[in-house]
Amino acid sequence: MAEYHLQAPLKNEDIEQLKLGDTIYISGEVFTCRSRLHKYIFDEGHELPFSTDDRNVLIHNGPIIVKENGEWSLKSFMPTSSIRFEKWGAKSVENWKLKMIIGKTTMGKSTAEMMKKMKCVHCSPRSVSPNLWIDSIEVQDVHLFDELGSIEASWFFKVKDLGPFIVDIDTEGNNYFDALDDDIKKRKDEALKKLGIDPDYEFTKLY
Amino acid sequence: MIKIDLFEETIFQTIKRGATEISPDVKLAFEQAIAREQSPEARKGLQATYDSMALSKVRQNPLCPDTGWPIFYFKVGNKFEIEGGFMAMEEATRRAVARATKLGYLRATMKHPLTGYDPGNNIGMNIPDFTYQFVDGDAIEMSYVAKGGGSECFGGTRHRIVAFADGVKGIEKFILDCVVASTRAGAVCPPTVLGIGIGGTANVAANLAKEAACLRTVGSKHPDPMFRKIEEDLYEAINSLGIGLLGAGGSTSVLGVNVEYAYTHIAGIAVATSTNCMVARRASSRIDADGKVTAMSSPNWFEGR
Repeated sequence: MAEYHLQAPLKNEDIEQLKLGDTIYISGEVFTCRSRLHKYIFDEGHELPFSTDDRNVLIHNGPIIVKENGEWSLKSFMPTSSIRFEKWGAKSVENWKLKMIIGKTTMGKSTAEMMKKMKCVHCSPRSVSPNLWIDSIEVQDVHLFDELGSIEASWFFKVKDLGPFIVDIDTEGNNYFDALDDDIKKRKDEALKKLGIDPDYEFTKLY
Repeated sequence: MIKIDLFEETIFQTIKRGATEISPDVKLAFEQAIAREQSPEARKGLQATYDSMALSKVRQNPLCPDTGWPIFYFKVGNKFEIEGGFMAMEEATRRAVARATKLGYLRATMKHPLTGYDPGNNIGMNIPDFTYQFVDGDAIEMSYVAKGGGSECFGGTRHRIVAFADGVKGIEKFILDCVVASTRAGAVCPPTVLGIGIGGTANVAANLAKEAACLRTVGSKHPDPMFRKIEEDLYEAINSLGIGLLGAGGSTSVLGVNVEYAYTHIAGIAVATSTNCMVARRASSRIDADGKVTAMSSPNWFEGR
């Protein structure tokens, strides 16, 4: 598995080389988005109040940021679960011309298909280590703070070698976790047998 | 009688400690996991998580930004007295949550379930959540749990009514199905602490599961051999699945399996799971009748475990 240190904004050639399981570190200007911003834009019809042309890396994230002496102070950061945004995933990739989404877990089929079409990747963390990340993040700005609240707002970060994250959806729409799922399923059958339970065990139907 | 100000400061410090410092038993479980993890990548991630947790104690910042639902458990002495009574105690707890949120020890995570409205202080309808247990004596023990969304929302909390006829096999099959579904791509932040409630009505089983996940000392065993065997068998089975750190593969998938039970109607056995993430945040304190405050190393919710 290769390791890449990438500079945002990303171009297709930066991400087309990435293979499932590769490790990436990202530098440059990125933005955050969570449930309420997705809903605000895609369900409620508002315009995104900024351009993503030169900010095409999205981090699914709700940081803890408080104001201290008039300055934003980042207290904690950890990518949040991407899978719950699946309803909006494909639209976000297409409309915002994203080249990378960083988030915990992964995305589903419709987003992966759009990632293949538009060329975009999803990357996820391999630890829960906010303190190893916050020193790599400079808070630049925030949008929709009053409308959406501190963690659902869109934060602009300037990041330096933020990572490691692994590539879990590549630009062909393949998912790193699919192969793992098959292995785990096989091991589950073995574990059940060891417990004396038939892998095809049928529960008594009570309802 | 305990002064309400003393209580409020104690519960605030308990919240702060729960959000920023790992419990001794979870720390030990991490050290053991790092030592025996077979996957070099997972070991690196466990070490990074461990290092970040150590820094949180120094920097006094949250172990993870998702400080989740603020949940409180009070073990109240039958003769315990507090200025203003229990309503004042709950109000003081709400003030402490709001203060901890304002200072950045907690994230403003609690929102209106339909509109997403953010009060900005984690205070709203039925939140924070309070659970009481009454015991002999005149002291109070309090535990704060930061219940993160990953472990709560993505299949880690479920229940099923298993037929009495299906017995332990049915219970264990249901649990393994839940674990595999909820750990995909690291959804519930494995390696987890898995709580299982067996018996009672569904809500009783769910509460027991939550308390088993969040309040049992990691590494503790149920004193009844029948339930201890379920804990041990499932611990071994889950760690054989190769789920690993954040679901990306590895030999450590669960840090502890804790089972608690209640007597029940055997027409159907409620079986509930509650999953706590790898950081398993909680803190406990005790106030004696003379006002002496003690930071407790574990919740002491279940006698001796």
